[in-house]
Amino acid sequence: MSLAVQFLTSIRGFVLDQNGDELRNWLLVENDVANIYFDMANELKASFPENSPALEKLVEKCLPEEDDVPEGKGSPWPGFNSFVKDYLEYWRDVDFEDLVRLHARLSSLVLSCANALANPTYGAMLLQTSMSLSESLSKLVMGLNRQPQLLAEIEGDVAGDEGGERKSVVELAADIIQKIFTSCLTDRSSTRWSQPKGKKVAVYLFANLTLKLLFACDKSRLAVQMFTNLSTSGPALSLYPASQRVTFLYYLGRFNFDTGHFPRAEMCLAEAYRQCPPAFQKHRRQILTYWIPANLLLGRFPSWPLLQRPEAAGFADIFLPICAAVRSGNFVAFHQALDQSRDWLWDRGLYLTLLYRLKPLVWRSFTRKIFLITWQGSASAGGDSSGSKTNPASAAAAAAAAAEGTKAAVLSLEDVVACAEYVQKLLEGYTPAKAPANHPHHHSPHKANPLLLRAIANNATHSPDARSPWQLLPPPGGQPRRLMPNEGLIFGNRRPDLESIEAVVAGLVYQGLLNGFVARQQKRFAVEGAKRKGGNAVAAGWPPPYEALTERFREAWQEAVEACDEGGGYDGAEPPGELDEVPGWVKNLG
Amino acid sequence: MASQKKDDKPTAETKPEAQAAEQQQKPAILEEDDEFEDFPVEDWDQEETEAGAGAGGATQHLWEESWDDDDTSDDFSTQLREELKKVEAARKR
Repeated sequence: MSLAVQFLTSIRGFVLDQNGDELRNWLLVENDVANIYFDMANELKASFPENSPALEKLVEKCLPEEDDVPEGKGSPWPGFNSFVKDYLEYWRDVDFEDLVRLHARLSSLVLSCANALANPTYGAMLLQTSMSLSESLSKLVMGLNRQPQLLAEIEGDVAGDEGGERKSVVELAADIIQKIFTSCLTDRSSTRWSQPKGKKVAVYLFANLTLKLLFACDKSRLAVQMFTNLSTSGPALSLYPASQRVTFLYYLGRFNFDTGHFPRAEMCLAEAYRQCPPAFQKHRRQILTYWIPANLLLGRFPSWPLLQRPEAAGFADIFLPICAAVRSGNFVAFHQALDQSRDWLWDRGLYLTLLYRLKPLVWRSFTRKIFLITWQGSASAGGDSSGSKTNPASAAAAAAAAAEGTKAAVLSLEDVVACAEYVQKLLEGYTPAKAPANHPHHHSPHKANPLLLRAIANNATHSPDARSPWQLLPPPGGQPRRLMPNEGLIFGNRRPDLESIEAVVAGLVYQGLLNGFVARQQKRFAVEGAKRKGGNAVAAGWPPPYEALTERFREAWQEAVEACDEGGGYDGAEPPGELDEVPGWVKNLG
Repeated sequence: MASQKKDDKPTAETKPEAQAAEQQQKPAILEEDDEFEDFPVEDWDQEETEAGAGAGGATQHLWEESWDDDDTSDDFSTQLREELKKVEAARKR
């Protein structure tokens, strides 16, 4: 008896027994298999040339459809036989050295398996095989994704075939695996809210496999359709094993992080972390990698007890400098903190998000700081303003305020411009240094000899005099550093002016980070609600960020609800659901 | 099946020596694979997790919501204050 016939005979036995595990154990596709698979491949090459119907006939002969199937037993079905024929052809034609061809062969084999799985009566016995084949395809694609020249070759072929819409290799593989996912999702053996049966048991396994592939290849946005399908008809996540729940919530959290839905990301990652036992340190660390940034972006800093946990080893060095910079409103420190961990943050897709999305919080602290040092109202109810009471600049501001006969809590936007210009210079490479006390006169930075100034500065640092004034030393070479757009305060080397500062402050007000309004005529930001805070204008104007941002999130949700209630000002917008609802996360009914 | 480690990112601009030097500086703890691995077990009891340890409050201690800095005696604040003073003086001139 030939090897192919022996193989098919065994397969038939497993089908009749509906033995999904054995089917998976036999229907292997990777090259680390026993030699007998290669012997069978050689035999197939010799006996079954391409384009000959002989192989199909052999499969039909060895896997006849059973007429009378006893309870609990199975039978081959046309889709299965077609898959098995494709499987034998795969081994006949496979060349593990030729990754482009391998990709084409394996893709069509997994698709064939997906078609067989779709059979409502017997398809479920192919679940395990579908899983292992999908894993192999996913592994191959992740490898290919790091070889751009091969990717281009494959994608060129595909575009040639279809001519129309051009899909990436990752997208094509994800499509195939999602076909299996859909087959599981639409299985009618159980409802959304009851213990999963049939193919439904594998819904989140395939969802997670698809997500793993998409995230590994930086294509997370392609997961939208899957999350939509889950929201529409997916079974409750709580009905599935803990490992699947945690993995799914981890990816859903990252998806929401990538798409800028930080409150949703936070909810998913918080739950993933809570449900992941401390023993799984590596997994918890992965979750924390995104959970901490999600919280930063919502205005919450990791606590010391959290950073001391074993899974957070090394995170304090990364995140604490960022927190300190946000806290102090110091843009120079902010850029330094991000650059210090640039590679690590970049590799995880966090660098740009933190750079752009944390900036409003730095601006908030920056404007707050300027208010603290300039405002001379009664701050007794709140902050410690000991520093501000004694300094001449605030004294001048106070005098001005007194002259106007007002103690209104206002922040002069011109003061913000002046401070912003100063910070922009720091970003451009000017360095602050203590001038020696009683220095006769300031040198103009452009004319002064930078070496001399630096020498003076170094000297000054060695003999610090707290009362000696700070001065800016020009950058090495005397020229301001050329800044990339995101490295500048506003945009590259653009000087902050009243207009840009007004826009920044208005943006902070809109986000809820500042409480008050911009009085354009007076060139001021006026704090509102100081009375309600017992006269503490700082607390009134600069509410706690986490509170402010979650409140803004709630307001946006409320607006969406009202828009839907009014009969759709939005074009076909879905009702927003509950406030704590995350699309794709199917929670228990009731 | 042929697959490669995910460490050859496109960093054409960076010189290899510079990269090597940077990598040496990194703390060992941060040189890790960032894949979310399959769990070695399928399921576990809620009691093994923080969610089940009756520690609803535990999660709350993990985050600081009040972190505002009211100290204005640091160098950065002093520099800003002096800068404002200078600008104020210039305006009056």
